[in-house]
Amino acid sequence: MAEETLDLPACLERVRQRDQAAARELVEHLYPLVIRIVRSHLPRRVAEEDLAQEIFLKMFTRLDQYKGAVAFSHWVSRIAVTTCIDQLRAQKRQPEFRWADLSEKEAEVLDSVLTSDGEVAANDALASRELLYKLLDQLKAEDRLVLRLLDLEQRSVAEISELTGWNPSLVKVRAFRARGKLKKLFEELERKERS
Amino acid sequence: MKNFESRWQRLVVAARKAPTVDEVAAPYGFATRVAARAMSERPPVLVVFGRFSVRALCVAGLLTLASGAANYLAFAGSADDEQVLTDPVSEVFTNAS
Repeated sequence: MAEETLDLPACLERVRQRDQAAARELVEHLYPLVIRIVRSHLPRRVAEEDLAQEIFLKMFTRLDQYKGAVAFSHWVSRIAVTTCIDQLRAQKRQPEFRWADLSEKEAEVLDSVLTSDGEVAANDALASRELLYKLLDQLKAEDRLVLRLLDLEQRSVAEISELTGWNPSLVKVRAFRARGKLKKLFEELERKERS
Repeated sequence: MKNFESRWQRLVVAARKAPTVDEVAAPYGFATRVAARAMSERPPVLVVFGRFSVRALCVAGLLTLASGAANYLAFAGSADDEQVLTDPVSEVFTNAS
């Protein structure tokens, strides 16, 4: 990120005066931040570049609303996260989670998680992540987001609250409910596995 | 399920170990394309409407005050005239004397 070289207030001022070169510099400066958020919340079947572009266009449209109360990168992160939530909401949820939809590796990982108490093998990390995404896909957009931020990215409740605009109590309640739903899903999978 | 939390955490820990894509630079032409599109787009109608509405409201308020001040004397004078004209009792007494 070219954070050290960009004079952000001056650049924002130029962008407000419709300076295209300044707008390009701003996009280049913020791209790493935006793409990291997009990649960690990317709704399936949505190209990351399209979603990043949508976020940047929203940022430019709302630039007049930025009053400098928070860091600009934080303000942009919030736009990115809410755009991802909107995309996730628009996505249809899978009607039912089936063992048959899992790859061989993913099924092995799930079987290992359900039946043994040992660690998942290190070389199954990719399959674990894919499996985790598939499980989270069964939840509502907000539930998915809160568990992803809390568990996978290990963010604090305060950080999630800042990023999403939800108050800390709501973050905790959502996480609690999401875990409840996930627990039911695990129970169902265990029953299916036994039968 | 007794061990849901530990099972979930085991899966999460394993998933966290998966390599992430480190490539973070914008693809060639991305920034130029987005900047050109953003700068060529007109501001949304509602934003423009909102901006002009506020200005129009201020102008209308000022015009109301100015017109009220300019016509204050005329209003006050006409009220006095009306009071004189619409006092039939004093008119009768005046005529009788």
